[in-house]
Amino acid sequence: MASFILRRLIALIPVMAIVLVIVFSLVRMIPGDPAVTLLGPGATQGQIDALRAQLDLDQPVVLQFLHYVLGLLQGDFGFSLKTGLPVANEILTRLPATIELSVCAVIVAIIFGIPLGVLSAVRPNSLFDHVTRVGSLIGVSMPAFLLALILQLVFGTMLGWLPVSGRMSSFMTVQPVTGFAILDGIITGNLYAAWSAVQHLILPTAVLAAFLAATLGRFVRNTMLDVMGEDFIRTARAKGLHNSDVVLNHGLRNSLLPAITVIGLKFAEMLGGAILTETIFAWPGIGRYMFEAIKNRDYPVIQGTTLVFALMFVLTSIIVDVLYGVLDPRVRHRMK
Amino acid sequence: MREIITFLRHNTLAVVGLVILLVLVGLITIGPSISPYTPTKLDILHKLEGPSFAHWLGTDAFGRDVLTRIMYGGRATLTIGVGVVAIAFVVGVFFGMLAGFAGGWIDNVIMRIVDAILAFPALVLAIALAAAFGPSLQNAMLAVAITLAPQFARVARSQALSISVKPYVEAAISLGLPTHRILLRYVFINGLGPLLVQSTLALGSAILQTASLGFLGLGAQPPLSEWGADVSSNLQYVRSAAWVALSPGMAILLAVLSFNLIGDSLADWMNPRRRSELR
Repeated sequence: MASFILRRLIALIPVMAIVLVIVFSLVRMIPGDPAVTLLGPGATQGQIDALRAQLDLDQPVVLQFLHYVLGLLQGDFGFSLKTGLPVANEILTRLPATIELSVCAVIVAIIFGIPLGVLSAVRPNSLFDHVTRVGSLIGVSMPAFLLALILQLVFGTMLGWLPVSGRMSSFMTVQPVTGFAILDGIITGNLYAAWSAVQHLILPTAVLAAFLAATLGRFVRNTMLDVMGEDFIRTARAKGLHNSDVVLNHGLRNSLLPAITVIGLKFAEMLGGAILTETIFAWPGIGRYMFEAIKNRDYPVIQGTTLVFALMFVLTSIIVDVLYGVLDPRVRHRMK
Repeated sequence: MREIITFLRHNTLAVVGLVILLVLVGLITIGPSISPYTPTKLDILHKLEGPSFAHWLGTDAFGRDVLTRIMYGGRATLTIGVGVVAIAFVVGVFFGMLAGFAGGWIDNVIMRIVDAILAFPALVLAIALAAAFGPSLQNAMLAVAITLAPQFARVARSQALSISVKPYVEAAISLGLPTHRILLRYVFINGLGPLLVQSTLALGSAILQTASLGFLGLGAQPPLSEWGADVSSNLQYVRSAAWVALSPGMAILLAVLSFNLIGDSLADWMNPRRRSELR
């Protein structure tokens, strides 16, 4: 198993190298002299030179890249042009909020997506199947910001059931232990804070999960239909097994493996959606941090957050590969 | 033509998608000439009015007719969608076909670059690129096209791989036809089907992503009307006058949904096993 993970990591090196080149190039893609563009027309030559030095633009490109990569390896993501704070620290303090939100969204999407897919596949072309198919297509086509607005309007403004912004009520604080608000609330015994965190999490989670649940439901339905046509299903039925046994133990188990890949792949798209969702719900994660950096043209922050999003995606794809190995006896056997 | 009619007869959802699309296209092409309003004419006396006979979808904070702005915004949004997919198609298919047909190190280099672009969440990369290029509609289109091209490259490559070993391609090679002609006349034409399905589905994501960039202020700049930008510029009124922000958002949903309904049905139709289920 360890050698399998190692081989996967080695295969990632060329891809990560190109990823680094792309992220590195972001500042260099700014039209004209980036320092002049960023400082605006009123800047003095001294200010321009200082910014060029800060962004490392006064060096040959190859050296700039080497500096950048060496810096990254030491955890140096540069400094924010707006606040002057180290980007790596700023990202680390915001990362738990984004992870908390996206992990909850994945769990909710699995809880809703998979059963819907299975029920559709059990009765293909029934009314239920058609309704879930249209529902899932609407879920995939829905702009995250539109769903967020509708939910805020209905559950926040009209019904007043749920909070629509932030991570916790403004008059509550919780001692940060892990950085995950709910967990910290429970650990420190501050259950009111934990409950407030749960309430604040519901709407943003729903927005992020909708897209994934829709994709997952549709995918599970199609894979299930393919699997249910296989010979071993007919054998299982011929043995006289109960219908639920056939569907769950023979059909679903064989459909779940490809679903894991889809969850992994779509997780990346969901992270993109996190930028919109976090911005609308004022969720203090790295998505909102990136949005603020864009408004302020704070390029070191844009570079840092872009890289972290890519890293999160690449890590997910490794986890998916390993899970595949753990769950599929054929892959496990090949890995040995 | 007969193939298209058979397809539509067996795919109610594709028909629904087509109808939504035709209504939207009709609205944005004929609508502006029928509407008594212009998208930029201010009328402060009638600002933030609810839907009425005079203003079917109400008015915005400057008294501009929301429906008229949606009609003009749709021109921008749909043109952007088609433009983005066209760029992504040409670039992606060119490099994908080249990779699949040439093989060897060319294939390796192209596909590693494709992998690297796909290692970013598409919207994150589009946002980062659009921010680097500077906020404008053209730059947003370019940024989204860059994130969509790898998908076309992957499909085109697999098509090129399977088609380039077919006897008719071998015959063309042994006849000494130049490579670009073989690629265009044999490999590209015969691999077009899956690429068209990919294009329909990509149209949906292209519109969704460019609208998201517009929403974040990285796409169309005012006073140009674009659906994503129109939602965000009216956000502050969402509690008092929901229709102003929600209407352009619903328009995005309908446009993306229409392409996804058609693309999804096409993808099912291309899959022999699924097709037998539909008939």
